[in-house]
Amino acid sequence: MTQFANMTEAILAGDPDRVKQLAEEGISRGDDAGAVMGAMIRAMDIVGEKMEAEEMFIPEVLMSAKAMSAGTELLKPHLAEGGGGNKGTLVIGSVHGDLHDIGKNLVKMLMEGSGFSVVDLGTNVAPDAFLAAVKEHSASLVGMSALLTTTMPVMKEVVDALKDAGLRDQVKVLVGGAPVTDEYAEQIGADAYGADAGSAVRIAKSLV
Amino acid sequence: MANIRSNQHALLSPMARKMSEDQCRKLYWACLEILERTGVCLHEQAAVDLFEKAGAMVSDGNRVRIPAGMVEKALCTVPRKINFCDRNGNRAMQVGGHRSYFGTGSDCLHIIDHRTGQRRKAVLQDIVDGMTLCDALDHIDFVMCMFLPSDVPQEKLDRYEMEAMLNHTTKPIVYVTTEFSGCKDAVTMAGIVAGGEDQLRQRPFAACYINVTTGLRHNGEALQKLLYLSGRGLPFTYIPSAQGGVTAPMTIAGTMAVNNAGVLAGLVLSQLNNEGAPFIMPGWGGNMLDMKTTTQPYADPEKRGQAIDFAHFLGLPTFSLAGCSESKVMDQQASAEAALTLFTDALFGGNLVHDVGYLESGLSGSLPQLVICNEILSWLDAFMHPVDISDETLCLDLIDQVGPDGQYLDHPHTMEHFRERWYPGIFDRSNHASWQKKGAKSLGERATEKVDKILADHTPEPLAPDVAKAVHAVVEG
Repeated sequence: MTQFANMTEAILAGDPDRVKQLAEEGISRGDDAGAVMGAMIRAMDIVGEKMEAEEMFIPEVLMSAKAMSAGTELLKPHLAEGGGGNKGTLVIGSVHGDLHDIGKNLVKMLMEGSGFSVVDLGTNVAPDAFLAAVKEHSASLVGMSALLTTTMPVMKEVVDALKDAGLRDQVKVLVGGAPVTDEYAEQIGADAYGADAGSAVRIAKSLV
Repeated sequence: MANIRSNQHALLSPMARKMSEDQCRKLYWACLEILERTGVCLHEQAAVDLFEKAGAMVSDGNRVRIPAGMVEKALCTVPRKINFCDRNGNRAMQVGGHRSYFGTGSDCLHIIDHRTGQRRKAVLQDIVDGMTLCDALDHIDFVMCMFLPSDVPQEKLDRYEMEAMLNHTTKPIVYVTTEFSGCKDAVTMAGIVAGGEDQLRQRPFAACYINVTTGLRHNGEALQKLLYLSGRGLPFTYIPSAQGGVTAPMTIAGTMAVNNAGVLAGLVLSQLNNEGAPFIMPGWGGNMLDMKTTTQPYADPEKRGQAIDFAHFLGLPTFSLAGCSESKVMDQQASAEAALTLFTDALFGGNLVHDVGYLESGLSGSLPQLVICNEILSWLDAFMHPVDISDETLCLDLIDQVGPDGQYLDHPHTMEHFRERWYPGIFDRSNHASWQKKGAKSLGERATEKVDKILADHTPEPLAPDVAKAVHAVVEG
């Protein structure tokens, strides 16, 4: 189990080179790629917890996510089809009228670090674009961000559009952003609200 | 490539002033006129004799009129700064100029017990807890005893205070004694810890806070302490407490003139007694009696700033006061008054700033309030830092490389520099959901928890057993 302890340490330290080295060593030793991947994911869970507990700084969390991605990249050829890595596809964007993307980018990077495939639609994303991306990528999650109270209603438009297109049951809808609350998420028919990037990842994992 | 630029200017801190050079001079001349024309009453014959011998005019036994030249001379020989050490003899504070150091006050009759929230009479253990806390708090630079212990023999309480301070922190000490004999004992105790009187003089880690009745009436104990300490070259503060509307005119200028005439009389005496002796003057000016409540307000906005300007004009180190409140409990008023007073003293550059953590105009103390002040001081420390505007910090190449659509969150440059920024300790920045998850606690509750944690975890470096024993022998003596 030592190699996994080292892996946890390397992910927490946000050291991509060390993570790659450990993953390589594991593969050449004959470790199961899925097990190595599992160790990395558990390490990212710890990162997520530490972030929520305000024990880690965002840049450190992102370095951990980068280290995770580097390891995932290396393990990919060795992983059984659909095994180990991919938790599902998330379509994410800041809604129409909103050009703010810090929170959205944070969630994106952390989701990637936690084993989700992320399709980033950027900012100022119209409801139609969300719909098209969900269809194209068979997404299981939709993440929407709004910083302005004036753009929040667009979130509801997207939820309604997903309903009208018959796609609402296929996806879980996550919302976030400074003015958004649990009550608002419920009111517009979203599945969950994430107060920060760390909890967004935790909630996403619990939903899929 | 040549990198030549002319006429560069940079500010290394925020700046504040309330009095111009000319206003300071006017006040100084007023003090000189009071000393020559009205004079001071000195209730100590040795002091009167020293003045008379040096050429001052003495009448009515102890009324001393001091010629301006004597003051001018004293200002030439007094040191402009005093190097304080910690208990172990390491350099700790350069007291003078615009350098600010912060410490507690002394002798609060009551404590707001953080365990019960109740106001009760203070006991010796409260001083022990207070010193342990001060020892651990990063932004508390020196200590005063904080509380007046009600559970020790009252005729010797100042000895118990000194012993508790010496035993429970290595930080520099400002001590207060009731009688002159207590002052001598405090010096003996500090000397034992320093390893001798010469070592104490070379590396002073304790100063005496001398209170003087009023600007123009100096009590015997104060003068005896001044003569004893200045004779040994040991640091002390000389603080007449003229009160506007009672023992001085109601106007701020009038109160300051009377009070600082008294300060200058003390200064002259110290230099007549021992040229080059260190001397510390008050950093607040224009005390008033609150004409509604008869309290003496500590967080009074109008007495702040100008005395520090005046001390800078004279070139003398200051003993100032801030971080204190009139509030009876650790509430919003307490936080606001503590923050505002600490802020002004940091801006003006008071030197030894005491009374941090005081409530009820100096009658109550609170350990969590001190922890809140420590956080405010951490904020101020960050605020007072200069902004570095340089090619390196402007990082124009990086800005161009990232471009309008890029972001910096996961850029190595961010990783390299994010720790340079200030982060709060007990001020909360969490979003509402995480704040709730952590128990939805107020600042006061978080400060109280921090007090408990420090008292449970922190053990100050003890004195060597034989030293502690010798110190205690003085208390018993």
